[in-house]
Amino acid sequence: MEKLLNVSSGPHIRSKLTTGFVMYDVILALMPATFFGVYHFGFHAFLILATSIVSACLTEYLFDVLTERPNTLRDGSAVLTGLLLGLCLSPTVPLFVPYLGSLFAILVVKCFFGGLGQNFMNPALAGRCFLLISFGTLMTDFGVDGVSGATPLAVLSKGGTVNAAEMFLGFTSGTIGVSCAAMLLGAAYLLIVGDITWHIPVSYIGTTLVLMAIGTGQGFRPLFLLAEMCGGGLLLGALFMATDPVTSPITAPGQIVYGVSLGILTALFRIYGNSTESVSYAIILGNLFTPLIDKVAIPKPFGLGDNAKTPKPRIPKAAVVLTVVTLVSGVALGGVNFMTRDTIEAQKLAANAASYQAVLADAESFALNESAVDFVKEYGSEVYGNGKYGKVYINEAVNGLDASGSVVGYAISVTTADGFDGNVTLTVGVSGDGTVNGISFTELNETAGMGMRVDEDEWKAQFAGKAVDSFTLNKAGGSTADNEIDSVSGASTTSGAVVNAVNAAIDFANNHVK
Amino acid sequence: MRHSTFRGGVHPGDRKELSRNKPIQYHVPKGDLVYPLSQHIGKPARPVVKKNDPVLAGQIIAEADGFVSANIISSCSGKVKSIEPRMTSAGVMAQCIVIENDGKFTLKEGIGEKCDYTKLSRSEIVKKVQAAGIVGLGGAGFPTHVKLSPKNPDEIDYIIANGAECEPYITCDDQLMRNRADWVVGGIKVLLHMFPTAKGVVAIEDNKPEALAAMEKAVSGDERISVLPLVTKFPQGGERNLVHAVTGRKMASTDLPANLGCIVDNVTTLTAIYRAVCLNEPLMEKGFTVTGEAVNEPGNFLVKIGTNVQELLEACGGFKQEPKKVLLGGPMMGMAITDLNIPIAKSYNALTCLVEDPVEIAQKQMTPCIRCGRCARVCPIGLVPQQMQVAAERKDYKRYERIHGVDCIACGSCTFACPAKRPLTQLFKVTKSAILAARRREAAK
Repeated sequence: MEKLLNVSSGPHIRSKLTTGFVMYDVILALMPATFFGVYHFGFHAFLILATSIVSACLTEYLFDVLTERPNTLRDGSAVLTGLLLGLCLSPTVPLFVPYLGSLFAILVVKCFFGGLGQNFMNPALAGRCFLLISFGTLMTDFGVDGVSGATPLAVLSKGGTVNAAEMFLGFTSGTIGVSCAAMLLGAAYLLIVGDITWHIPVSYIGTTLVLMAIGTGQGFRPLFLLAEMCGGGLLLGALFMATDPVTSPITAPGQIVYGVSLGILTALFRIYGNSTESVSYAIILGNLFTPLIDKVAIPKPFGLGDNAKTPKPRIPKAAVVLTVVTLVSGVALGGVNFMTRDTIEAQKLAANAASYQAVLADAESFALNESAVDFVKEYGSEVYGNGKYGKVYINEAVNGLDASGSVVGYAISVTTADGFDGNVTLTVGVSGDGTVNGISFTELNETAGMGMRVDEDEWKAQFAGKAVDSFTLNKAGGSTADNEIDSVSGASTTSGAVVNAVNAAIDFANNHVK
Repeated sequence: MRHSTFRGGVHPGDRKELSRNKPIQYHVPKGDLVYPLSQHIGKPARPVVKKNDPVLAGQIIAEADGFVSANIISSCSGKVKSIEPRMTSAGVMAQCIVIENDGKFTLKEGIGEKCDYTKLSRSEIVKKVQAAGIVGLGGAGFPTHVKLSPKNPDEIDYIIANGAECEPYITCDDQLMRNRADWVVGGIKVLLHMFPTAKGVVAIEDNKPEALAAMEKAVSGDERISVLPLVTKFPQGGERNLVHAVTGRKMASTDLPANLGCIVDNVTTLTAIYRAVCLNEPLMEKGFTVTGEAVNEPGNFLVKIGTNVQELLEACGGFKQEPKKVLLGGPMMGMAITDLNIPIAKSYNALTCLVEDPVEIAQKQMTPCIRCGRCARVCPIGLVPQQMQVAAERKDYKRYERIHGVDCIACGSCTFACPAKRPLTQLFKVTKSAILAARRREAAK
C-alpha cells in the first residue's frame, strides 16, 4: 500500500452532533418566544434583539482578532448569548442597553475567563444583572405604548388578579420573552432532542412553587401557582438559563441539588425581595455553586457497593468550612437586624415626627388621618395619579392638631422613585386652606453637591407659603411667579422629582384628605 | 414486552448490512501461518517446538506457562520455519512461531473423535478446554479454563451465551448462530452439565431476528435453555451490562461474573468448547468478519488461527477503494492498524476497512468542553467522563481515582456522543495505564 493508513485510538466513529448543533438547537427552541415577542411588542423589540446579538458577535469576533485566537463565532454560542439577553430585557429599553449588556456578557464573563465552556456564570444572565445594577429603572420599566405596565407578578403581589390565559400565552407586559406557551414549546423540543434533561427545570420550578405556596400563605391555588410560574422570568430562567450546560452541574443528582437550591433562592427573593430580579440573581448565585456541586455529586459507578464495600463520598473540607462561615455570618446578621429592628422602627417614627413638626410648626400633636389610612391601604403601593407625577407613591398622611385638638393642617409623606439615585421620600405640610407650609426630606440619597442640594433651606423655602394647585420646574432659574420653582443647577432630575412629589401631595391633600 | 437492556449506552449506526447476510465460508490459507505466543490475557505461552520440527494440525506448539495462560495449537501441518519477532498488531513486534504450511492440513491423531460429555467430570472437562487452548474469543482473550473453575461452582445459576454482538459492522457471531446453532447449544449443554444448578440464556440483540429464530429453534426441547432478545444498543455485549440485562444483578468493576453466579461466554467461545469437548478438536479456527466500505466483497469466514490478514483480504477481492483506516475489530473498540501483514490471533474477530475516517473529521470540529453531560448520560457504568477529563488533564490522579475513573472500560460511548469531539477514551486509556503503572511501582517497593 503506497498511502499511509490513519491510526488513532478508538472509537473510530463519532455521532453527528457538534457543539454548533447543540447551540443552534437551543436558538431554534427560542424562536417561538422570539417571534411572539416581536409580534407582541413591535419593531423596537426586534431592534433590541438584533442589537444584542450583533453586539455579542462583534465583541467575540474583535476579542478573537485582537488576541490572535481562532475565530469562534461559528459555534453559535455568542448568538445564543445575545438572543437570551435580548429576550430577558424590557421591550422599551433604549438600544444602548442591549449593546452594553452583550458587551459585558461576552467580554468580561466569557472571553476574559477563557471563552466557550470556561465562563463561571451564564453570560446572558450576568449581562442582565450588570444592566440591572447600572440602569435599574430602565430595566424594570415594563411600560408598553405609554401604558403603565405592572407585570402580572407585581399585580399579584399587591393582591390584584390576573388573566391566566393572557399571561400564559404572553399577552401581557413583561420582557420580550414573555410568552410562557412559546417557552414551553421550545423546551419540549430541547427535551425531545436531548439537549436538556428534566432534572433542573422540574426541581427548580417545583421547589419555587411549593415554597411560594407555603411561604406567602396563598396555598396551592392553581391561578396563583400559574402566575408564579409564568411571571418574573421563571420559565425563561428555569428552562433556558439554569439549564445552560456550561454553568450547571453535570450529573443528575447534582442537577437536582442545583434546581432545588435555585428554587429556594428564588422563593426567598420573591417573598422578601423584588420579584423582577429574583430569578436572575438566584441563577447567578447557583452558577457559583456549580463547581462545588460537581465536585461532590459523583454518582456511584455501576455495581459499586451492591456486592462490595462502597467508599463514602467525601465532601471537600473547604465546602464545609465555607458553609459554616456563611451560616454563622448569616445568622449573626439576621440576629443583629432582629435585635435592632425595634430601635430602627422607633427612629423612623421619630424621624417622621420630626419632619411633620418641621413642616407644620403650628401643630402641637399629630394623629393619623383616617381617610388617608384607608386610601393608602388600598392604593398605597400603586403609582399615585396614574403617572401624572411620575412614579410617586403616597405613604401616609397625618393631621396636625393644635393644643385644643382642632386641625391646623396636614402632613403628607410621599415617595418618588424618579430620583437620580433611587427613591426620595419627603413630607409636605399643607395648611387647612391649601397653602404649602414647607417640605422636609426623610429619605434622600442623591449626588452630593448636586441632587443633595435640594435639602438646602433656601431651595426648600421656595415652596413655603404658596397656595397653588401645582408647581412647575423652571430649569433656567430666576423664577418670579408663585408656581415656579428654580431647579438646583445641574440637578434637574432630582428637582423635577421633588416638584412632582410635592404636586402629588397637594393633589392628595385636596382630594383625599378631609 | 420491552427487551432487556441497561442504563446508558449509544446508538451508532450498525452498518451490519454490508455482511450480515453473507453465509460463513471456510477460508483455506495458502501461505505461512504465524502464531504469536501471547494471544490471551496472562503469561505468554512457552514454545515446545524448534525450528524445522514437523508439525501436524491440532498439535500443541506452545504450552501454557502457568494457570492463567493458554496453549497454542497449530492449525495447519508443515514444519516450523522460525521462532522470531513479527508484527502482530499496530506497531507491536512480538515473539511468534512461524509455520510453513504444506497445504495438506494433516490432522493429529485422535482429532474429530466423538466424545460423550455426560460421562466426563467437571475437572475432566476443564482439562480438555485447557488443553484445547481456548480463550475468550469475543475479544477479551481471557483463558476459558480459568473462567470454568470458579471458587463457588455450586452457586452458579446462570450460563449466559453472549450473542449480543453490539459492535457495529461485525456479523460473524450472527452468522455463526444462524448456521451453527447446534454447536452453540452444544457448548451451553456442556456447561450446564458442569454446573447443574444453572440455567442457560442465549442473549442476542434484537437487530438479529434470524439469529434469534435459529437459536430459538435450536434450544427448543431443552427446558433449561432460553433465548433472550436484548435492546440493540452499544455496549450491550459488555460483560457487566450483559449480566445486568439478563439477571438484573449489578457487577462492580472488582467483581467476576462468577461472584454473581454467572458464567458468561461468547457464542464463538461456546462453539469452541463444544468442539473441544465433544469432537476432540482443539482451537484451530474461529469466526471472522471482513467488512467495511472499502472492501470489494465483505464476508464472514471460518478462518484458521494464524492466517495472514492480507491473504484473507485478497480472498474478499481486495479493496475497491483506497481505505483511510483499517481496524482490527469494529469501529467502537477496535484497533487501527498500519500494516496488513499480520496474523489473525485468537481474540480478533473482524477486519473493518473504512473509506473515511470520522476521527479525522472530528478533530477539525473539536471545541472546548461545553459540559453538556452527554458523556455521563451514555456511560454504561455510570461514570462522569467530563470530571474524569478535568482530573486527567490536570494529572490529578488522586481525584481521578476518587471519582472511579479507573473503572472505565474504554467502550468509547462518551467519545462517540461528545458534541465537542473531545478525545475522551484515548485520554482515559492513557491515564488508567499511568495509574496502574504507578500502583505497580508502589507495590514493588
